[in-house]
Amino acid sequence: MRVFLGCTALLTLALSPSLAAQERTPGERLPVVKHVLPNGMTFLFLRRPGAPTVSFVTHFRAGGVDEWTGISGTAHLFEHMLFKGTHSIGTKNYAAEVALFPRVDAVADSFTAEYRKGALTDSAQLGRLRDRLKTLEDSARQYAVSNELDRILTENGAQNLNASTGNDATNYFFSLPSNRAKLWFVLESDRIRNPVLREFYSEREVVLEERRLRVETQPFGMLLEEYLAAAFRAHPYGRPVVGVASEIQTVDRQAAQEYFKRFYGPNNAVVAIVGDIDVDSMKAWATRYFADIPTGEPHRPVVTQEPPQRGERRIDVEYDANPQVLIGYHVPSARHPDAQALAVLSQILTGGRTSRLFQRLVIRDRVATTIASFQFPGSLYPRLFTFQGVPIAPHTTQEIETAVYEELARLTREPPTDEELQRVRNQIEASAVQRLASSFGVAFQLSNSEALWYDWTQTFRDQAAQSRVTAADVQRVARAYFDRGNRTVATLVRPPKPATGGTN
Amino acid sequence: MRARALLGMLLLAAVPARAQQPVDTRAQIQALQYLPLRFNPPLPKRVTLSNGVPVYLLEDHALPLLDVELISKVGVANLPDSLWGIGWEADNLLRTGGTTRLSPDSVDKLIAFYALTIGFQTGNETSTASMVGLSRYRDRLLDLAFDMMRNPRDDSSRVRISAAQQQESWRRRNDQPGSVLGRAWSQVVLGDHPLGRTQVTPAEIAGFTPERFRWVQHRIFCADNFLIGVSGDFVEKDLLAKLEQLFGGWGKCPAGLRSVPPLVIAQGPKIVLVEKDVNQTNIRMGHAGGIKVGNTPDYFAAEVADFLLGGGGGFNSRLLQRVRSDSGFAYSVFSNWGADTKREDVFFTGAQVRAEKTVAALALMRNIIGSMATQPVTAQDVKLAQDNEVNSFVFQFQNAGQIVGQQLRYAVDGLPANWFDLYLKGVQAVTPDQVRQVSEKYLHPDRLITVVVGKSSAFDKPLATYGPVTAMPVDSIRR
Repeated sequence: MRVFLGCTALLTLALSPSLAAQERTPGERLPVVKHVLPNGMTFLFLRRPGAPTVSFVTHFRAGGVDEWTGISGTAHLFEHMLFKGTHSIGTKNYAAEVALFPRVDAVADSFTAEYRKGALTDSAQLGRLRDRLKTLEDSARQYAVSNELDRILTENGAQNLNASTGNDATNYFFSLPSNRAKLWFVLESDRIRNPVLREFYSEREVVLEERRLRVETQPFGMLLEEYLAAAFRAHPYGRPVVGVASEIQTVDRQAAQEYFKRFYGPNNAVVAIVGDIDVDSMKAWATRYFADIPTGEPHRPVVTQEPPQRGERRIDVEYDANPQVLIGYHVPSARHPDAQALAVLSQILTGGRTSRLFQRLVIRDRVATTIASFQFPGSLYPRLFTFQGVPIAPHTTQEIETAVYEELARLTREPPTDEELQRVRNQIEASAVQRLASSFGVAFQLSNSEALWYDWTQTFRDQAAQSRVTAADVQRVARAYFDRGNRTVATLVRPPKPATGGTN
Repeated sequence: MRARALLGMLLLAAVPARAQQPVDTRAQIQALQYLPLRFNPPLPKRVTLSNGVPVYLLEDHALPLLDVELISKVGVANLPDSLWGIGWEADNLLRTGGTTRLSPDSVDKLIAFYALTIGFQTGNETSTASMVGLSRYRDRLLDLAFDMMRNPRDDSSRVRISAAQQQESWRRRNDQPGSVLGRAWSQVVLGDHPLGRTQVTPAEIAGFTPERFRWVQHRIFCADNFLIGVSGDFVEKDLLAKLEQLFGGWGKCPAGLRSVPPLVIAQGPKIVLVEKDVNQTNIRMGHAGGIKVGNTPDYFAAEVADFLLGGGGGFNSRLLQRVRSDSGFAYSVFSNWGADTKREDVFFTGAQVRAEKTVAALALMRNIIGSMATQPVTAQDVKLAQDNEVNSFVFQFQNAGQIVGQQLRYAVDGLPANWFDLYLKGVQAVTPDQVRQVSEKYLHPDRLITVVVGKSSAFDKPLATYGPVTAMPVDSIRR
């Protein structure tokens, strides 16, 4: 047990091993083969030793920020629709099935028209139209083979079949036994070429329930949504990706189709295929199955810029639950040179049990159960550096705020110590290895990085850049962004009168 | 683009062009032929330390990482009832409380500085200690983690932090509907049995003392109870020598633990309503599962039935297909036919449904459970479950850590090392009629216990139309 001579001696000994300043990281050294089709669709292939499995992750440069007014949640709803099949998968008789769609859509239009009347809406009529919509859509089901895509993948042993929609991009993924890799090419080329938005209006209801599950019945979900809306007045980062309830209820098939046409061109798609693969076969199949899809509109970044904030914004969010607080500051996008210094600042203040705010709020003063910080709700555009704090009664969110402001101020006076910076660098070094552990994880990182930054190595280079952040860099960003006037604070508070069935 | 590709094909292979004909993807898929998957997953080597502790080892040098997992064959349910809360929090104290030699802060600093992952988990009937780090820090990682397990410090400051955190967790216990449902369900179905508990009470928190934590830690995390799994970047001989050193002088586990008391599962039918002001209703319904894990036709048939009812079958399970895809009542709906090697467990289904469709959804879910016997699954359905298991088997062996973990789990559960082969064979042998029989025998839609958390005034119909209702005030949930 000689290792336990003492903490300080040990820490000094270990200051040497870390990434040499400009050495390429394990991620950058991956033998990834990039293959771009003439229509712009990008493939990243990586052969890895191990079990005969292969993971497929597709990112589209299409997310919540790309929606136009009145259709919030459509990026996500469309993601659900890509599991509903195509002209041939999911149907017994495509022609007969789509022939019924105009009648269904007409009732959906009537429903929306009634809904638009606002205060004058006839709720009985609205109910009748909803029932009628269900009846008509059910009649189209006679031609549908519901969930056939899922069935085909399930019987072939697919794993992790899912998708997710973010502000900046949308991704679709699953893994297959490697002998069945060709199945991905057949299915994926079909569904991005010929998607059919069947069972659209019942899926709208499913998404409404997803919103209730993740946002409306969750104190933190509700707080987060209100916080973003308060912080962003112009930029679409202020809108919930899942959508506003009224818009989810009224978005129509045509809008989802339009969204698809605008954003799902092959030139906006990046596919990473990682595992036990033969790269030459993959290249040939990529060409065979995807090369003849016509190029779509190029992705154009959002033009809207969030105007500088003019003074602190504070909101209360009433909800029948115990308090918590979000404190946020506008900071630049992930591509800005300061992004890495901000990531290191986050580690120093809230990264783990030895971080400054955790030490103070959780261990020393026992004021909070949780103190965390993160940059979100996206990477492409200027975003929020956010602190989340959960107090221990009778301590208050105000005490958490005070500690956060004091520690931010202290950082401008007292630079991070060598030990603090070395801790962060050591954690980056370990993480640079650990993030390569699973094929699916690697596929996800590669396609995400290529989709956002047109460079699959960017994500690894960003992490390496964090290792080079200096104490002066951290102090510079601490001074640059954390002014009171750039701040939004959202606090969860109980409503004045407890709701029925209220707790405590 | 299309023309150029076709031209290439014509020149090279003289294939007639059929560009305008729509592609029938289903036919294409049916025509796909797959080479057989040849794969013999590596098996961990099993050795025994001089103190009798078994070690499962599998080297994998692809990344410079070492992963050591210890499983203890006892957990919180083996403690006297009066120490349940101590057991529940004992893992956290082991991680945060320091050692007789190192202060809590020193331990935190070492873990953070070397980017080690050291974690403890006291489970119901097994507990784990996991240690992960860069392989060049092998000795730092293992020395520290073993010191934390063997020599926990009596640090009252860290005990006070744990007490404050658990007190706040108690205060927030009703903030989320899922937490209310889980605790109400356990109370109704399992009473006060430790296997159903997830929440430490204020009375238990008042009893948090360093001595009690040490009593529990020394009985759960002690040498005789362990099985060890090691995977990643290590050299077997050196690692075994290191483990011998780490276990040196570690005596027998002290007495004081008990066998887990028999599980008494409540009888239905029963409908329990917990009022909560939310626009989505949390539902759970079920009853005793009647099945034990084992190499028996009933177990495998129940696995297939669960897959097709609302488990692994995903969107092609009856619950997801009908409650979500067809009706749009819910985003999440599932079944879980619980089974254990030690005892029969609980069968249940669950969903979060639109408040205005609560009673309709309850009736639909009850019908679907009943349909497993009255509208039997088809041969095609059973084949779906079987094909899924067979074709996905490689995913059970994706990396050394997963393979070692599987063997550890089998050993702790008393299953043979080749259990996965037996499982595959067992599932392959299931027939549609066996699924019907097992459903008829064990699933009882007329005897369901149903727990509903929601705002009853917003329901589509009075809940009483579904059956006689017992109101359960949220504050009557004891734990």
